[in-house]
Amino acid sequence: MGEGTKPNKNNQEPKTMDWFVINLLNGISYGMVLFLIAAGMSIVLGAMGVTNLAHGALYMVGAYVGWTVAVKWGAGFGLGLLAGGLSAGLVGLAIERGLLRHLYKKPNEQVLLTFGFVYILANLCLWIWGGWPRMPFTAKFLTGSMEILGRSYPKARIAVILVGLILAVVLWWLQEKTRMGAIVRAGMDDKETTMGLGINLERAFALIFFVSSFIAGSAGVIGAQLLGVHNALGMDVLLLALIVIIVGGVGSIQGALLGGILIGVIDAFGKAIFPQLAMFTMYVTMIVVIIVRPSGLLGRKI
Amino acid sequence: METIKHDNGQDGWISHGLPYLLGILVLLVTPLFLDTYGQGLMTRFLIFGLFAMSFNIVFGYAGLMSLGHAAFFGAGGYTVALLKLHYEVDLFWISAPLGILVATVIAALFAIIALRASGIYFLLVTFALGQMLYSLAWNVKWLNSKGMQGITGITLPDLGIAGFTLETLSFYYLVLIIFLLSCVLLYRLIISPFGLALEGIREGEPRMEAVGYNTWFLKYAAFVVSGSFAGLAGVLFAYYNFFVSPNHLGIATSFLPMVMVIMGGLGSFLGPVVGAAVFIFVENFASILSPQRWPLVLGTLFVLTIMFARDGIGVYLWRLWTKWRPDFGSAKN
Amino acid sequence: MEALRINKLSKRFGGVNAINDVSFAVDIGERLAIIGPNGAGKTTMFNLINGQLSPTTGKIHFFGQDVTFLPPHRRAHLGQARAFQVISLLQKLTVLQNTLLTINGTKPHRFAMFRPIRKFKDLFEKAANALEGLDLWEKRNEPVSNLAYGEQRKLEISLGLSMDPKLLLLDEPSAGLTKEEGTEIIGIIKDLDPAITVVIVDHDMDMVFEVAQRILVLHYGQVIADGDPGQIQKNQKVKEIYMGTEDSFDYAGTA
Repeated sequence: MGEGTKPNKNNQEPKTMDWFVINLLNGISYGMVLFLIAAGMSIVLGAMGVTNLAHGALYMVGAYVGWTVAVKWGAGFGLGLLAGGLSAGLVGLAIERGLLRHLYKKPNEQVLLTFGFVYILANLCLWIWGGWPRMPFTAKFLTGSMEILGRSYPKARIAVILVGLILAVVLWWLQEKTRMGAIVRAGMDDKETTMGLGINLERAFALIFFVSSFIAGSAGVIGAQLLGVHNALGMDVLLLALIVIIVGGVGSIQGALLGGILIGVIDAFGKAIFPQLAMFTMYVTMIVVIIVRPSGLLGRKI
Repeated sequence: METIKHDNGQDGWISHGLPYLLGILVLLVTPLFLDTYGQGLMTRFLIFGLFAMSFNIVFGYAGLMSLGHAAFFGAGGYTVALLKLHYEVDLFWISAPLGILVATVIAALFAIIALRASGIYFLLVTFALGQMLYSLAWNVKWLNSKGMQGITGITLPDLGIAGFTLETLSFYYLVLIIFLLSCVLLYRLIISPFGLALEGIREGEPRMEAVGYNTWFLKYAAFVVSGSFAGLAGVLFAYYNFFVSPNHLGIATSFLPMVMVIMGGLGSFLGPVVGAAVFIFVENFASILSPQRWPLVLGTLFVLTIMFARDGIGVYLWRLWTKWRPDFGSAKN
Repeated sequence: MEALRINKLSKRFGGVNAINDVSFAVDIGERLAIIGPNGAGKTTMFNLINGQLSPTTGKIHFFGQDVTFLPPHRRAHLGQARAFQVISLLQKLTVLQNTLLTINGTKPHRFAMFRPIRKFKDLFEKAANALEGLDLWEKRNEPVSNLAYGEQRKLEISLGLSMDPKLLLLDEPSAGLTKEEGTEIIGIIKDLDPAITVVIVDHDMDMVFEVAQRILVLHYGQVIADGDPGQIQKNQKVKEIYMGTEDSFDYAGTA
């Protein structure tokens, strides 16, 4: 973000307006990353009733793999993004097919199992990539700034906002308008009948888990410029996802989007006004929402 | 999750109590043959055993999965540490009760917020609340020793007995006494109407409500009592560890009692203690062989337990005991 | 005083009125049956009376007291007992544990924290009596899941009675039972203390006509008929709504 405003008759106004817009854009772009993180987890939670606590770890796997492909091997951001998504998707799929699906009737065990994988994946990443953090990275054509309302603003962050919006629309469409979305929602309520209708629920679950993990991994690559690439991501990102889900509500894209943007914006303005407060604006928001609307702003009552 | 079976108090207490007597004997005698490192390890085992048992009230008995329990554990430890750091308090009889009090108050506050949520939200909220305390400890200067994360310089407590100072072995026995007393209290809690009501809530909250129980209140009480005992464990931990850090408030530590309860067997009173023993043993072993791979080992062990030994290692051992000694194998604890 | 007064009760779910402007009263000691095709709102009605759901509009008075928004556990203390459509007994706990919990639910020492439960002698006596009456004392330490379905149903109803209720709500007590077991249930209900008010929801018309003094017919959340069994049997509207459903409306016996 560049400094330097155009001189104006009233010196105060442009600063305040700029300050507001910049922080707003910061908040929205960060919020979009939060949305990308939470969306996958919320889908799996709403559609399959599974709380995948390893979701943050999948994000981390995507970030590391994406870095390796895009930066270390120099193959470009696009390939890095794809690699990140695929690697996370495959790891997630392996977990689901290999272990998770045996625990369909045991929600507590599912949670515990996925949590075990947070440790496993974090340590594996540590083993493979070592403990030092990688530099934030983004696509070459997105480096540099563009002009927004007469001020410079990083192109990459604008891109994040756009990508987030596109993904939100796509996911919402999948959730509401496709047969797959309806099937899975039905399957949650009555597995036997749905299976009796000749629909392969197992395959649907595998697909959903894969897609969710793919999104997580891709989010890891997209979000790398904001959240970096390091070993604590597994837990940090999980925490962010949980806060977004608590605020926005479970099981809907709209909830993840609203939660993400709200938290992102509150966090951005919070940091701009009280820099020492760091994460507390998020926590306070979360506590307020829990007390006032326990199932989240847009959540269905569980 | 297994039903926790209770004895009717009619079986002879010798055949029933023998394993426990033996256990206590082992705990009393073994440290005499170990060096200070080994004694420290046993102290660590008792502390985490207590922590895990406190967690079991909420998790195993009431059926609430909480991922923020270290908040109370760490609160107890931090109280001791802060009293030492800022006020040079060494007296056990001041620090310990205050530590338990602080932990209880935090549990009372957290429970109000967390119990607004049900089902999976409860898990998420407890996690976030624990991380909030972690964040607080990380950021607030007053909660840290100068120039670092966490508080160092904690020493073994002063018991106020003239001419007597604690060192490793005597501290172990202090912890053992507290541990055993806590076991008795927790056991009485579990076999009381309150304890049975918690199990009822775990098995079917709607029915419990319809039959006359204010389930919110029962869950709240369980949370607070559990928090007190966790705080006590945290107090002892601060003395044992000489150092507390934000990590002791966050998920890294919250996860541990859950691992121990699962590994020890969700359906039994002493399962968490068995789980703690297994955990401490494996942790020690792994830290010698390969400290960097310890989380991997732990995670894998945890996953394997959930997949294949869902009743826990403790229950498995108990079944072995009842199989091999049929004359002692009366009703499960 | 009436045992139960329902006043302009409505319950909306999304766009659907599960209960639509329903009003009726139940006298003390009355045996009322609520019937209607599937989806008519019978269980919703019970959930509103017992407190699992709050109405969108309307009021519920229980023995003169406004209980509209009271949580279920408070209603239990006021004298409501309920047997659920899906057996609600705690499957993994033992018969004895279920019994102790139910009896204790409305007693002050349900909160007792540091005194072993086995020291509460009256509690155990009451539990023993209840279980011996059902021939379940030998099975007291078995998990409820070990009991046959019919035994569980009987147990749930008996435990409801052990709460010394003023109002007993029975949600499809005959569901899944054999003919003999159904007859047993009818016997239990008929033998009940006449001071206890009983409201029963069921599809088994034999049971309904044997037991009920009065029948309310619900359809799409509204009361479409209210009268004694004889009147209901002859009611044309009622016969119509049962046409084409699986429920048989024929009753062979006398009304």
